[in-house]
Amino acid sequence: MRMHRLDCGATLGPEQCFGPNLFHRYFQVPACRSVFQTQSTEKTSEKTVTLSSPYRSEIQTSSAWWLLLPALSVLAFVGVLPLLTIFNYSFFDIFTLESRFWIGTEWYREILSSSRFFESLARSLVFSAIILSIQIPLGVFIALLLPRDGKTGMAFLMMLALPLMVPWNTVPSMWVSFLGNPAGFGGRFLAMFGVDFDYKFNALHTWILLVAMDTWHWIGLVVILCYSSLSTIPPAHYQAAAIDGASRLQVFRFVELPKMSAVLMMALLLRFMDSFMIYTEAFRVNAGGPKDATTFLSLDLGEEIAAFNYGPAAARSIIYFMIVLAIAWSFRTIMNIRRDQTLGARQR
Amino acid sequence: MMRASSKSNGLKTAAVTLFLFMVVCFTMLPFFQMVVLSFTSTLPRDGIAQGQFSTINFRNILASPLLSGSIVNSIVYVTLNVVITILVALPAAYAISRYRFAGDRHVFLLLIAFRITPPVVLTLPVFILFAKVGLVNSPLGIALVHCVFNIPIAIWILESFISAVPKELDETAFLDGYSLPRYFVKQLLPLIASGVGVTAFFCFMFSWVEVVFARILTVTGGKPITMAINTLYGFRTDIGLVMAMTLVSLIPGLAVIYFIRNHIAKGFVVRS
Repeated sequence: MRMHRLDCGATLGPEQCFGPNLFHRYFQVPACRSVFQTQSTEKTSEKTVTLSSPYRSEIQTSSAWWLLLPALSVLAFVGVLPLLTIFNYSFFDIFTLESRFWIGTEWYREILSSSRFFESLARSLVFSAIILSIQIPLGVFIALLLPRDGKTGMAFLMMLALPLMVPWNTVPSMWVSFLGNPAGFGGRFLAMFGVDFDYKFNALHTWILLVAMDTWHWIGLVVILCYSSLSTIPPAHYQAAAIDGASRLQVFRFVELPKMSAVLMMALLLRFMDSFMIYTEAFRVNAGGPKDATTFLSLDLGEEIAAFNYGPAAARSIIYFMIVLAIAWSFRTIMNIRRDQTLGARQR
Repeated sequence: MMRASSKSNGLKTAAVTLFLFMVVCFTMLPFFQMVVLSFTSTLPRDGIAQGQFSTINFRNILASPLLSGSIVNSIVYVTLNVVITILVALPAAYAISRYRFAGDRHVFLLLIAFRITPPVVLTLPVFILFAKVGLVNSPLGIALVHCVFNIPIAIWILESFISAVPKELDETAFLDGYSLPRYFVKQLLPLIASGVGVTAFFCFMFSWVEVVFARILTVTGGKPITMAINTLYGFRTDIGLVMAMTLVSLIPGLAVIYFIRNHIAKGFVVRS
């Protein structure tokens, strides 16, 4: 593998590919592509490496790890160390931190055999699915509609970024007094249409309130990410597409979507993770009610931490971490496979 | 033919305008509600009728050392967090962008793993750990723990900005006798200034509004805005005061958005 990378880098020296890597990123230089073609007999996952190799120094060096050291040591202190601690706790029955008893995997078995856990998991998965299927398409759509330059687009971006700056524990208060309160603007609007909005006792209404609130809160992030990658597409690409007689849909599919793919991946991951583990917002709106209809995974964990059940809380944390990790990993694998397929299709 | 197409174009523009207008309404109406409530006296008080226009909420903020002090606490810890994050993320992003080393493909996965670690999962051990080293109730503690989700994002964004700078620039500078740190500060940093700005924006955004870590790490003192607001919730919540506090907490956010507006609109592409 190493040899292959080095070899490819040598063939694709800067002098052949016109130097600045920006150029590569914007235009697929035919000469480079032919090299990929001849060398793409490797495993598919290696292609991404081949693609990025011309921008990188080919020196194998351990000094890179010295540059990574500050970041990794901070992460080790605030990330790895707590995770290890909690992993350790999850095998103990803990009264106080000094007196604890080894009980093996009992907490895990207890949690994984309770129907409550699977119900909460299902609710969290459904919530994330709804959030992603609304916010990602809507965010892309808004980003596409915004004017690409000038003051209007920028004003829109600034406005959409505003909800991101609202403290998470007042977002629910804002929405409850806006939509949940009959005297609020949203509540009055709904009353005009004869809707009796009752977020406290009607499960459907609680869900609608949560989804609307989360969309309001986070749509700006998706739009900002998409917009910023769209504005790096040079006008020449649109002109070329117009000359080829591409439809609007084709322009989106073959010019805009490829440019956005990485940013969309980031938006997907961020939105998935934050909606899947939604805590403050859901808790403040209805504390998991009515009748547990909005009890998500994190609310169960919050309850356990509040009751100082260290052992079960630790086991639960590890289970959640594993679920999130597994889903993120499969996201990435699917995205990589699909990207490799499209790359392969284009090369053929 | 011509007329038909121009007519459909006109319809399209109208539809787009209407849609964007709805987006504006959807985004701004809750804020409007918030502003109205923050200038309303929402609890029965002597001399002010409930529901009457009043600046009592803002006067209450100024009068309460907890509330006004929390603004300072928030600004201190967010600034610390942004500075720490960018300082450690810059060299890391440079290493990932420029060097090929054993395990480099896994670094990104590792970073993603940190970003997606649910804060609720880490609360318990972080509290115990920070209590041991005396970081509870201090802004530094919150600033450090927020690094767990901000450093991965920062490296992700900065790496794509550094990769957009031609590698030849590094090589020329080194041939000219620049050391790596000097090259970094004198030549590379000015080129990726907008990347640093975008990164700071994202770090600020995720740190300023965070609640879960901020709560467990501020038991008795050093409460940031989010936690000061938490103390307002109770049996009879003064919703007007909560909204006034929210309005105040938006001001630094607005300033950050204003400073960063050009960089965001100019665009960036992250690496997958």
